[in-house]
Amino acid sequence: MARLIRTEKEVEGRYTEQWVVVEEDAAIDQWPAGPRETVGRPVPRVDGYERARGQALFTADVALPGMLHAAVLRSPYARARVRRLDLSRAREADWVLGAIGPDDCDALTLEPGFHGEPVAAVAVDSPGRAREALELIDVDWEELEPLLDPEEAVRRNELHEEPRRYERGDADAAFADADVVVEAEYRTQTVLHNPLETHQSVCRWEGDTLEVYISTQFIWGVRDDIAESLDLPPDRIRVICNFMGGGFGAKNGAHAQTFIAIALASQTGRPVRCALSRREENLATGNRNSTIQRLRAGARSDGTLVALEGEFVNAVGWKGWSGPTYGPMEMLYACENVRTLTYGAKLNLPPNAAFRAPGFVEGTFGLECLLDELAGRLELDPLELRARNHADRDLADDRPYSSKNLLECYRRAEPHWARRDAVRARSEGPWRRGVGLASQIWYGGGGPPSYAWVRIGSDGRATVITAMQDIGTGTRTAMAQIAAEELGLPLDRVRVSLGDSSRGPYASISAGSSTTPSMGPAVRAAAADAARQVIEIAAQRYHLEERLLTMQGGKVVSSDGGSWPLEEVTGLLEDAQILGKGARGPNPTGMRVLTFGIQVADVAVDVETGEVRVERIAAIHDVGRVINPLGAQSQVEGGIIQGVGHTLSEERLVDPASGIVLTQSLDAYKLPTIADVPEIVVELLDIPDEHLTNLGSKGLGEPPIVPTAAAIVNAIRDATGADVRSLPVSRDEMLRALREARERERAAAPA
Amino acid sequence: MQLLRPESVEAAAAALGNGSVALAGGTDLVPMLRDRLVSAETLVELKEVVPRGVEGTRIGAGTTLAELEVDPEIPAALREACALAASPQLRSMGTIGGNLLQATRCWYWRLDFPCFLHGGSRCHAREGAHREHAIFGNERCASAHPSDPAAALLALGARVRTSRRELGLEELYRLPTEDDRNVTALEPGELILELDVPRPEASVYLKAMDRARWAFPLVGVAAARFADGVRLALAGVAPIPWRLDSETDLDRATPLPGTAYKVELARPLIRRALHSVT
Ligand SMILES: Cc1cc2nc3c(=O)[nH]c(=O)nc-3n(C[C@H](O)[C@H](O)[C@H](O)COP(=O)(O)OP(=O)(O)OC[C@H]3O[C@@H](n4cnc5c(N)ncnc54)[C@H](O)[C@@H]3O)c2cc1C
Ligand code: SF4
Repeated sequence: MARLIRTEKEVEGRYTEQWVVVEEDAAIDQWPAGPRETVGRPVPRVDGYERARGQALFTADVALPGMLHAAVLRSPYARARVRRLDLSRAREADWVLGAIGPDDCDALTLEPGFHGEPVAAVAVDSPGRAREALELIDVDWEELEPLLDPEEAVRRNELHEEPRRYERGDADAAFADADVVVEAEYRTQTVLHNPLETHQSVCRWEGDTLEVYISTQFIWGVRDDIAESLDLPPDRIRVICNFMGGGFGAKNGAHAQTFIAIALASQTGRPVRCALSRREENLATGNRNSTIQRLRAGARSDGTLVALEGEFVNAVGWKGWSGPTYGPMEMLYACENVRTLTYGAKLNLPPNAAFRAPGFVEGTFGLECLLDELAGRLELDPLELRARNHADRDLADDRPYSSKNLLECYRRAEPHWARRDAVRARSEGPWRRGVGLASQIWYGGGGPPSYAWVRIGSDGRATVITAMQDIGTGTRTAMAQIAAEELGLPLDRVRVSLGDSSRGPYASISAGSSTTPSMGPAVRAAAADAARQVIEIAAQRYHLEERLLTMQGGKVVSSDGGSWPLEEVTGLLEDAQILGKGARGPNPTGMRVLTFGIQVADVAVDVETGEVRVERIAAIHDVGRVINPLGAQSQVEGGIIQGVGHTLSEERLVDPASGIVLTQSLDAYKLPTIADVPEIVVELLDIPDEHLTNLGSKGLGEPPIVPTAAAIVNAIRDATGADVRSLPVSRDEMLRALREARERERAAAPA
Repeated sequence: MQLLRPESVEAAAAALGNGSVALAGGTDLVPMLRDRLVSAETLVELKEVVPRGVEGTRIGAGTTLAELEVDPEIPAALREACALAASPQLRSMGTIGGNLLQATRCWYWRLDFPCFLHGGSRCHAREGAHREHAIFGNERCASAHPSDPAAALLALGARVRTSRRELGLEELYRLPTEDDRNVTALEPGELILELDVPRPEASVYLKAMDRARWAFPLVGVAAARFADGVRLALAGVAPIPWRLDSETDLDRATPLPGTAYKVELARPLIRRALHSVT
């Protein structure tokens, strides 16, 4: 029976209550902890060869017959009004097949609020000439004064929402009573997602159905966005994303390029591709916004945190949302008295978008640096300080955790932490070495609704069918492993069909570290349903009791000795197939499902030139059961590399007068290169969360980037005594912090 | 757009000017054509015209950075400057001639702001974002010269043979003025053919950048020791490669608020470079 339940859904820290239907499945027990036949064992990507051979078709490869190419006219100003937009020259040119303005498409505007906001678009039949066609659009711009300073926006009350206020306990009283109070202002910069594949869509009308090929993290979200905006029945929209070149949070909806392609496809009657160039990508598709964090911590002399306070200014941009920069301060430690105040400044800057643990990356940098400054003042070991303030229960929501093994992570961190004397001793000449650490907290529990089917053919092969997407994280492989495990099949007899809203049931967004914990249990349930049917069929055919039968090694095996190859059983059906269905059950009620971890960084700093080299990062995370240790390791490595870029070299710069984005190309915007990558040691606890689904798995996409910046900056302090308080730690910031440390030392030295 | 492949220097020189530009490896030119910072109806390929390879102290202007960085005949400063420049892909296309003539990386200039260097009246970087910019010679244009090899060649006292004359590398570069916004003294249609690079007793190139590889110099320091003393030259500190006599010359720097750190950064690099060659 279908069961309707009301459940809490969380994506990237944003909670909503919603109704979901879960199939009444016989409760499936979690597998015992530890590696199994396939699950828990390192498996190379099932689509590795396809990718390496260039056979994997990304949206960037989609070429439909008659397809046109769009180019977008974007605002060259951070704030402007278009007095006159004249498309007539473009419409008259015989080689320009489509031209649209705000009257034709809601994603276009005559009052752009950031550099790069789309104003008009054209379609031509050669990609090379699309930009040329933009010159046929006549625009009369009125440039307006942009608002660019987040503090000024707060003063003028130019905010995206009312300031968010949170308080538990009595922070003022606790600060007054504290033995030690530390305070500091931290700043984080704006960084860009820069997925390898830029935002792009190809749209085509097929009769009354709209086909949308798109590089996306959520094909169902794209469908909903379009249905809502264009008032179309959702079932007349087919969204396809078979292979995807990364998103990091910036590709959760349809986005402007899709609406532009649809409007041009409607106008021209031809398929239209709208693909952003790298520069457009770095202007207009989102970012991790900059933040200003004024933080205060009060503690007793034994290190017990008694009060925490934070004022956070999120420089959100023209659109977007004010992220949970306050999250770590409210959630990470067992502190009774916490007060936060958060502003989401509305500025004439490109909108933000969720970016790998939005808010928590920024907030963890501030909080975890402050904690080390506190440890310094108290002359306490930073690891000890963290363990002492461990929260056994979630104080923000007053709930127990579904599972938490952070103390075990701390214990596993000890050997890495204990190396610090040896690391420091390797300092020589201007190169000072040190070790730093930082804790990690983040969501990652996933949730319903998420569905999957498993089909077994007469050849004894299985296909997992679900309309999810693999955003490059290795989801196909993990889902194949789960189905193979449940079906007792070798991995090469399981295929995964995904990426098409018309070929499979509704599936989860791939954001908020939710893919594996949302989809994995549904896939397992579907496989279990299929296995049950196989066993029922075998029992009837071979006159055995069902309870004696299991599926193992590609066979149906009876505990009394007999066994039959799966294809022999399913072969009975000739061309008919067995179809198992599965749904993700609800999250445990009344519990907080979170991920935890700690990272320990070794750095070397040249105290004369300010050069910082991250030499090693040990990452220990608690994300429940690990499905594919190899895939998990590559997620951790990817997160840390992105974190190293965030910490040391990446920064989107705008002209402070005009708000024009200066770092649009990849030589100006400095992603880390392979030469910047440290040795990365990955340790995953691999302890299933006994309360969470039939798998006990949480997500891993985001946790690894959360503590990296703070761990590196704390290591820099350990190495040099310098307090870096602003990201990135470029030469300017590092030399400033070193100078300040020298001056402090000089002032403290006895005369 | 058309591509010409002249077979003599004379033919190449004659084809240049009037909407045509010289193409060597294209690593700087092609992106600028795409961004319409340079417009050209004709590209004149230099491959057959400009010498390539190393002979004694002479380097063909068509020699790639990748070839120079591994050639034991080449003084260490130049080898290291090449090895630390750009990326392997760019170095295997990019020629030394093209490298010396590459355009500024100033983001305002690259985004075609109507700034002083583009013929306008003011420098946008001075009041704007300028952490990568200059600390010397920056009164009108605050751009920082991006070439690592140019600083090395300047320290080495290289001479340049063009299709018309021979000149010292310092004479190749000039600060832009009200009347002439060029940063090189090359005349229209003039080609760089060869470099003559004296052999120092010792030389070195040190580079500070924003990441471990593939970044332009924040500050690059070249030092070369000859019988009559040590020559120092810096990349990334002025609109053109910049010579200094000693570290104390840094006291005369005119940094912008956002480039003061470059003075601080240059000091230890100069000290280390001097230490390494003496
Ligand atoms: C992303 C990126 C990073 C880089 N990083 C660095 C770096 O860290 N350090 C560094 O030093 N450089 C760096 N470079 C610059 C690179 O080294 C140069 O682009 C390259 O050396 C230019 O050589 P080319 O042969 O490709 O020149 P082209 O692009 O073909 O030409 C450049 C210019 O020189 C002219 N020209 C070329 N040869 C001659 C000649 N013989 N006579 C007259 N005119 C000529 C052309 O007309 C054109 O104006 C980088 C470049 C890029 C794109
Ligand atoms: S530094 Fe030079 S190139 Fe840059 S804006 Fe100023 S004048 Fe233009």
